[in-house]
Amino acid sequence: MSEQVFNKTNIFIALQYLAARKKQSFLATIGVLLGVTTFIVMINFMTGVNDFLDDAVFNGSPDIIISATTKRNSKKKPGITTNYIENSDKVDEFLEKDQNVESFAHQIISPAILISDAKQFPGSINGIFPDQEDEMVDLERRLIEGEGFQSLSSENTILLGISLAKRLQVSAGDQIKMILPNGKNIVLKVSGIFSFGITTIDNVRTYVSAATLQNLLGQNSISNIHIKLRNRDNVRLKDYLIQNINDITTEDWKDSNKTIVIGNKVRDILTWSVSFALLLVAGFGIYNILNITVIQKRKDIAVLKTIGYSSKDIVFIFLVQSLIIGILGAFFGAFFGYIISYMISTTPLDTSDFIIVDTYPINFKISYYVLGLLFGILTTIIAGYFPSRKASKVDPVTIIRGI
Amino acid sequence: MILEAQCINKYFLDPEKHQVLKEVSLSVPEGELVSVYGESGSGKSTLLYILSTLDMDFEGNLKIHNQEVKDLNASSLTDFRNKHIGFVYQFHYLLPEFNVLQNVMLPAMKLSKKNKDDIRKDALNLLSEVGMKGFAKRPSYQLSGGQQQRVAIARALINDPSLIVADEPTGNLDQKNSELIFELLKEITGSRNKAVVIATHNPKIYHNSNRSIEMIDGSIRL
Repeated sequence: MSEQVFNKTNIFIALQYLAARKKQSFLATIGVLLGVTTFIVMINFMTGVNDFLDDAVFNGSPDIIISATTKRNSKKKPGITTNYIENSDKVDEFLEKDQNVESFAHQIISPAILISDAKQFPGSINGIFPDQEDEMVDLERRLIEGEGFQSLSSENTILLGISLAKRLQVSAGDQIKMILPNGKNIVLKVSGIFSFGITTIDNVRTYVSAATLQNLLGQNSISNIHIKLRNRDNVRLKDYLIQNINDITTEDWKDSNKTIVIGNKVRDILTWSVSFALLLVAGFGIYNILNITVIQKRKDIAVLKTIGYSSKDIVFIFLVQSLIIGILGAFFGAFFGYIISYMISTTPLDTSDFIIVDTYPINFKISYYVLGLLFGILTTIIAGYFPSRKASKVDPVTIIRGI
Repeated sequence: MILEAQCINKYFLDPEKHQVLKEVSLSVPEGELVSVYGESGSGKSTLLYILSTLDMDFEGNLKIHNQEVKDLNASSLTDFRNKHIGFVYQFHYLLPEFNVLQNVMLPAMKLSKKNKDDIRKDALNLLSEVGMKGFAKRPSYQLSGGQQQRVAIARALINDPSLIVADEPTGNLDQKNSELIFELLKEITGSRNKAVVIATHNPKIYHNSNRSIEMIDGSIRL
């Protein structure tokens, strides 16, 4: 006797009920549609921004930076000091053993004045080892013109951030002069221009080979070690280093990007709470409409029961109604969500001082659309279930006697 | 025997325990129209709900079509009712979302023993038998009371049940329509060989039935 409740007759009855209340059904569908649309647009946009910032900031900067605190006096020019890491071999040995370290790179960092034919500006000069740095930073993807780290292997070359290059009014192939704090200067060829999309980086960062910088500073040491982790959230390494190596400071990605980390969190919370609230409202709309229908249609439900429709049939008939509303609303919602997200993604963005980007970053991940559909449909199933169960409990005798 | 009720006792517990039916026994063979009459509160409607298996909260034995209904669980009872019992109510109760033809077809679509075309054919035949064929495509709410009751009778017959139960089928109709409906029920009893039980206040009905039973205070007057 356990006949299928999923049959044409029950669906036919459900459709007939929906059609009898076209306006209400339409409004309920719009409710779900708005919820899903908002969810899609918000999550596409918010995660788009998050991913953009993650990519620009965290990939442009290492997960842990070790900096020297020891000062060494320059022998040639008294008074001019540079920090250096005393026992970098010990650190290297340790990093090589640590499972969580994906790669690390030595750097010698020094401030300098950069002078072009037209202008002069201060810059932060990163003296790097091209093979090591290639492991750390994917510069190829960020090149605007010229070549990446490997071009530094040839002597007297420099890579510039896009904002700095623009201000100096130079492009790849041009020559600029660099003056260090100890007075030494050198003419360098611009071999490439890159952009991380973050003004604070693109404004000051330059790369030269470590050898060039060490020569000019008259020392063979390094000032920083950059570390990339396999699991970025595990920064216990930092504490270990502080305890075991003298005269260094460490900084992890969370320290250096607090505002961005917090911003990401706030955007996440905003996305989920607003979407949830909207779907909740849509759910209540469906609940209300079906509930009223069940109350108005008690006689009809009683009749359906006396002519052979079981409680399960009744649950199914009412659940199908909310399911149809849910599926229609969710699919159209996902569709409109995509359209709006697409429109946002093509909207030109007036660049702020903080980030450099042409249009709003949007993340069109398919999983968000699947999630939006599931969300919308699930809400309607839950909202539809309670009125449906109420309908199935209608007792024909009470109804018929009650007249 | 289509219907065999033996020693039916029924109590209402609210507001206080009160016996509504006392040792009621009744048998109806096919081809017989039995009417039950009596004053309001005499228990005739209650008896009718029990005989039609809508109210299963009673003491005693009830066999319909040689099936002891107390042996059926809730879902098989629904199917049993669908197959073997047709209903006619005082207030017609057609579903307003559906047209006349669809209303008649609904019980058969649930039974789904035949395909939709055959069900439609059956329904149209029944509608012409009750004189409502011309209204097949009309929304049911546009019909007059007498017309709706005729459609309800067609709906009760669609699955060819052996038992028809009618609760005050003419209670809401004028005299002319009452007579028409009663004649229709009588005709069905004879031509289709059904067992028909009618609860009624209408003397014209209980004087013209094959058998009439008067109920007083929950008992059948002998």
